[in-house]
Amino acid sequence: MSGDLRPLPVVDAPEFETVDPPAGDARRRPAAALSDDSQLAIEIRGLVERGEMDEARDRFGELVTLHQRRASRIAYQYLRDASEADEAVQDAFVKVFSHIGSYRETWPFEVWFTRILINGCLDRRKALSRRDRWFADTEVSSADEARVAAAGPPADPEHRLLARERRARVAAAIDRLDGRQRTVFMLCHYGDCTPREVSAMTGLNESTVRVHLFRAVRKLRGLLGGKP
Amino acid sequence: MKPRARHLHDERLFECYLTERSGDALDPPAAEHLADCDACSARYAEMTAFMESLRRDGDADADAVFTPERLRLQQQQIARRIEHVGRPARVISFPSRIVRRTIGASQSRTAPRWVAAAAAAGLFVGVALGASYEWNTRRIPVASFATHDANPRLAPVATRGDSPVDVASDDAFLSDLELALERPHTRELQAFDAFTPHVREIRDQR
Repeated sequence: MSGDLRPLPVVDAPEFETVDPPAGDARRRPAAALSDDSQLAIEIRGLVERGEMDEARDRFGELVTLHQRRASRIAYQYLRDASEADEAVQDAFVKVFSHIGSYRETWPFEVWFTRILINGCLDRRKALSRRDRWFADTEVSSADEARVAAAGPPADPEHRLLARERRARVAAAIDRLDGRQRTVFMLCHYGDCTPREVSAMTGLNESTVRVHLFRAVRKLRGLLGGKP
Repeated sequence: MKPRARHLHDERLFECYLTERSGDALDPPAAEHLADCDACSARYAEMTAFMESLRRDGDADADAVFTPERLRLQQQQIARRIEHVGRPARVISFPSRIVRRTIGASQSRTAPRWVAAAAAAGLFVGVALGASYEWNTRRIPVASFATHDANPRLAPVATRGDSPVDVASDDAFLSDLELALERPHTRELQAFDAFTPHVREIRDQR
């Protein structure tokens, strides 16, 4: 499983700045209108630079609220374990706050943050695969399964069983994707990112991202028989 | 009649899906073709349904695990973790004060150390005296026994009398006893034993 994992380029903030935005990309031009979260990140950076840490922490809470759900979805789809995903999301946010001084508005905050999150998830996935060599593999922990069952509508047992099987089948199919295909698919599909944003996050060419995405979907359709 | 264009390739259909998802308008040739061609339109609808169901299932799966309550807890946890970021580390005044106190404490403990040493010495002397007393008490009975029983061989004989007849009968009894003990008890070996000369017999012949 870990063999196909090809880590994304280093996402630590200083190195992130070295990647030049492609020409013609209006979203990454500093002059272009910044998204709300990017503006908020710049404000927090200013507060941190001025030493107003309490205020910075308060504002950072708003940033967390904006991205928390999406980040949890991505992390959960990557790791298939609620606790691991929870920790990965927390680590990503803490890392963002610690390095907020190196954030530059050249990039949307979402791209910067997602890149940090994905790298954390990849590291955790590697650690999990190392652990799986010694312990029995579990796609979805029983606690998570119970939580999913409890949170869902009070469907009949047959419906629950079918939904569970479907989830397991989809997870297994996604797991069989090539490392880059999986990353691109996850980001586009569960992270709601455009191929352009995925290109910025992964350092891959945008057309390469589209090719990976198309191949991932074709493979998934083949594996799932056209239906999830 | 306008000739119908060739069917759209899967890759092109997927591009259309991505374009539509991002909120942009489809390029006119592809849009026209999808409007005209039922087969391509059906393939496009099927692909879109597949992608949407994948997304819907995935999101529902994650949202069921990450409930609003869990997200709130996660947010609190993040807030707790970033509370210490950017704050100067608290320095514990470990070296100077503690060392000084340790030195002072060691000086004030000089007297107790002497007391401890004296107690240890007293204990040692006590144990040594106790051991020597025990050794003496063990030695005394041995010595007294030695003085009283200077010739142990004579003591049992003296109980039986001092006459030469008694001494001879005793010797005969003891020799019979030795003989009985020396002889083999196994019947099969007794014949062999009869052939074998004994030290005692040779000594008696002399």
